[in-house]
Order: sequence, then C-alpha cells, then structure tokens
Amino acid sequence: MSPQRFPERVMDTVTPKRPQPASPAQRISTWHRLWHAVKRPRVRRSLISLIVVIAGWEIVGRYVLTNPLFFVPLSDVILALIRLWGTGELQTHIAASFRAIGYGMALSIVFGIAFGIVMGASRTVADYTEVYVNALYAMPLVAIAPLLILWLGIGVASKVGVVFLISVFPILISTTSGVRNVDKHYLDVARAFGATPVQIVGKVLVPAALPFVITGIRLAIGRAIVGVVVGELFGATAGLGFLIYTSGQTFDVPALFAGILCLAIAGVVLTWALQRVEMRLVRWRPAPLED
Amino acid sequence: MIEASTAPGEVKLAVQEIGKTFHRRGGGSLTVLEDISFEVRAGEFFVIVGPSGCGKTTFLRIVQGLDAPSAGRIVLSGQPLHGPGADRGFVFQNDSLYPWRNVLRNVTFGAELQRKKRAANEKFARDIISLVGLNGFEGHYPHELSGGMRQRVNLARAFAVDPDILLMDEPFASLDALTREAMQQELVRIVAETAKTVLFITHQIDEAVMLADRIAVFGTRPGRLMRIIDVDLPRPRLLNVKRTPRFQELVDQVWTLIAQSHGLEAEGRDP
Ligand SMILES: Nc1ncnc2c1ncn2[C@@H]1O[C@H](COP(=O)(O)OP(=O)(O)O)[C@@H](O)[C@H]1O
Ligand SMILES: [Mg+2]
Repeated sequence: MSPQRFPERVMDTVTPKRPQPASPAQRISTWHRLWHAVKRPRVRRSLISLIVVIAGWEIVGRYVLTNPLFFVPLSDVILALIRLWGTGELQTHIAASFRAIGYGMALSIVFGIAFGIVMGASRTVADYTEVYVNALYAMPLVAIAPLLILWLGIGVASKVGVVFLISVFPILISTTSGVRNVDKHYLDVARAFGATPVQIVGKVLVPAALPFVITGIRLAIGRAIVGVVVGELFGATAGLGFLIYTSGQTFDVPALFAGILCLAIAGVVLTWALQRVEMRLVRWRPAPLED
Repeated sequence: MIEASTAPGEVKLAVQEIGKTFHRRGGGSLTVLEDISFEVRAGEFFVIVGPSGCGKTTFLRIVQGLDAPSAGRIVLSGQPLHGPGADRGFVFQNDSLYPWRNVLRNVTFGAELQRKKRAANEKFARDIISLVGLNGFEGHYPHELSGGMRQRVNLARAFAVDPDILLMDEPFASLDALTREAMQQELVRIVAETAKTVLFITHQIDEAVMLADRIAVFGTRPGRLMRIIDVDLPRPRLLNVKRTPRFQELVDQVWTLIAQSHGLEAEGRDP
C-alpha cells in the first residue's frame, strides 16, 4: 500500500477530549473560586460598573439632588426595602407581580411558539393572520390595558392578560421568522430519510428555530415586566406596580425607588435565568470567544 | 453484517425513461432530463459523470423521491418507487448535518425516524461510526469537526439506515484534493465491507474512473445518457492506478463523450 493512503486520518484523528477527574489538590475553597471568578474580565467589569453605579447613586442622592421628593440616596432605598420586608408588604408585592409575570409568560411561550411554528410553516395561515399580528405588536399597551381590566376585572386575571398580550408577539414573530429561515437542506435531509410532517416539526423546525425563539423570549421578558406594571397601575390591589403607584401618591419616594429597584433586579434575574437555559439548550453552537 | 435482498449481479435499480421538465411561473419551461434508462446491478458501484448543470442532482433527487419525474419511473428491488424512504440512503453534496445533534445523533437520525429500538440503532450507528473512522468522536458537534470528518459523518448517516442502495451526490466535491483522494479510498473500503450497491454522482472524470464498476456518461442540455462504459481496472485500486495507461484511456474516453455533447473537438483538450 502506498504510504500516502490516508493522509487525512493523520490530520483528523486527534484524541477526543475527555474530562479529567479532579485530584484532591484541585478541590479548591469557595473563596478561591470566587476570587478566580472575579479575575475573569467579564465578571470584573460587571463588578466595577456595579460599584460605580452604587457609589454614584449614593453621592448624587446625598450631595447633588438633595430634595427628598425628587431623588433619594441608595441607603434610604435600602432602609425602605428593609422596612417593607419587615411588615411583609414587599413579599406580597413581589409574589403578586411574579405570579402575573409567570403565568403570562408561560402562556406567551406556549402560544407564541405553537402559533409561530404554524405561521412560519404555512404561508396560507400567515396570509390570513400576519397583518393582525403586526398591528397588535405595534399597539401601545396602555391603549389595551384599561379594556382588559374592564373585561377581566381587577386582579390577577387582568394582569396575566396584559402580560400575555404584550409579551406574546415578540415570541410569535421571532419563532415565525426562525421557522421561515430554516435551511432548506435540513428539510431535504429529513424528507429524504422519510420523516413525517410531525417529525419534521419536532426534529427539524423546532431545534433549528430555537435560537430565534430564545431571542424572542429575551425581548418578551422586558415587555412582560412593563406589562405587569401597567396592569398594576390601572387596577390592582398588590404588586410592585401597585407599590410604586401608592408610594407616589403618598410621596414616599424611598418606597417608590424600592419598587423600581425590585423591577430592575427582576429583569436582570430573569434574563440571567434565560441565559442559563439557553446555554443548556443551544450547547451545540460554537462558544463565544472570551478574552 | 448486512444482507442484500438481491443476489449480486441481479438488477437492483431500474431507471426507466426518466424525464424532467421544470415549468417556470411566468410560462416557459426547461427540460433538464430526457429519456434516461439504465440498470444498476446489486453490489455494483455505478457512477454518473457529467458536466455541471447537466441535471445530475435533479436526477438523483428523483431517485430519492424528493422530486417527482415528469416522465418514466424508478424500480428498486422490483418495487416501483413513490416518494422518499429509508430504503435509499442519500449522501448530500453539502454535508447538511444538523448542528444541534452530535455525531452519534446525526448518524442515528434516519433510524430514529423509523421508530426502531433506540438501543439497537445506537449499536448499529456506533459500528458505522467506527467503520468511517470516527471512533471517539460520537459526542462531538459538527462545528467541532473538519470538512473531511463532517463528510464521513454524512456517509455514516446514509449507511446507518441500512439502505438497499446508496445515492451519493458529489459528496467529496467540497474537499481539498488530498482529503478527497483519501475519502475515495475509504468509501471503496466501506462499500466493500458492507456489500452495498452505490449510485454515485460526480463531475470529476478521474474520480469516476477511480471508483466505478461502470460509468454512465451524461450529456448536457438536456441531460441525457450518452453511453455506459465498463471500467475494467482491477481492484483494489490504489492511487498509483492513476498513472497506468488504461486509466488514462478511460479518462480520455469519458472526456471525449462529454466534449461531444458540448459540440467540442476532443483534440482541443489540454493534457
Ligand atoms: N427546482 C428547479 N426549478 C427550475 N430549474 C431547476 C430546478 N432545479 C434545477 N434546475 C435547473 O436544472 C439544471 C440542472 O441542475 P442540477 O440538477 O443541479 O445539475 P448538476 O447537479 O448536474 O450540476 C440547471 O440548469 C438548473 O438551473
Ligand atoms: Mg449537482
């Protein structure tokens, strides 16, 4: 046999990576690991910016905008948070808002993905429905919220309704474009191997569109938070929006900022949770480079 | 390891008067294939060679059932074909692996669609993966593989449905010359080990001569069968077979036929 028979094997057959078992010396303390995390540039930059914002807020509140009806230092907001936590109010408001966000988002995700797939796969359905989807997507939510409250009453149902209506369209629209953008070759492969229509949806369309779906959910999270606040401003007896509204009415500016801070944290936490889910689901994509 | 349902030498695939005309939306039509008939025998390595654009992909898609012919029919193992199915294993021109599936799950994809037992699928797929030389890469994702390795997975996926016939559409066209030659040798070895019938398409004449038991030369505009040539080179064919006079004769024979279909003079060819 000629020696050049398998030149490619030589280049290709790298030994696959296998995880090494941790030696006792490698089992490091929690502090050690935290310190290592802080040394990573992305973590370090987030931490520095957080410290600057906290310090800036405190300084501006204490020495620049000193009118307490206008702005308050962060320490006052934290005191308000502690006070509200002590009375149990804060927990009630957080729970009420999160319940509405949770139910509303769950409905949006299920309906948005299901109908997005149908709209993406069927030109006929899209022709009949696309114009309404676009109209509702662009509709300012404040225009519909009062109507929903009239229909569904004051309480969790109307809030869920508002959250659903505002958060479903980004998911629906990006799922639709994800399905439409599926590489034609992927469909050919499935058909060539005899896939049924149901199998094509489950094994090709959904996984191929998944990155788009997740982008849609990311947009939807931000809108869901707006939605729950709007719902609570118009008609509610609890929730972070309700807390903000009543604090404004009573000039309790620290409590007002406490509500805003909770909403900001909710956005960060939900987005972070989605990133964790995304990392698990879309593991097959090349990892982004980190410097 | 795999039993052929047809004895060697019997007709495996019969192509009967296949024609294909595409109709444009605004009227007007393009006849891509005209009156193509031939037979592929069981266990045979049958290669179709023809210039780019002569309708090779269109033809193979008809055999796979992805497109319907405008005329004629295809008979596989005695049964007329309607639509796609796992009795044929298709190797696509671009590898088109699913990026969200690792090597193993790409290879099991076809069998998974047939709802066969998962454990049996996996065992069979692992055998095929080691047959194509990708042992240890079962858990890797396509983006972690080189072009040559991806094409090996593409081959393995087609073999893994244990088809009656393999349909290959220029599977090595996008590989560099060295890798391509290595893959040709590998393919011949795998086909011999699995005793499969292969219908292979290429626009590279030397690839056709290197691989084929018989070559069907396609002419262009419209795509049609010019002639079938027996390749009587002994096997195994190693790379140095390319320097033998008989290899050169066969290449020239094919080239002359293709040149004729273009209305060119064979003498005008650079060596
Ligand atoms: N779906 C289609 N509609 C119209 N024309 C097509 C279609 N598919 C292929 N063709 C035409 O058929 C001809 C042959 O294409 P193809 O089968 O891809 O050739 P090859 O694979 O031999 O390079 C080309 O001229 C191409 O433009
Ligand atoms: Mg082609």
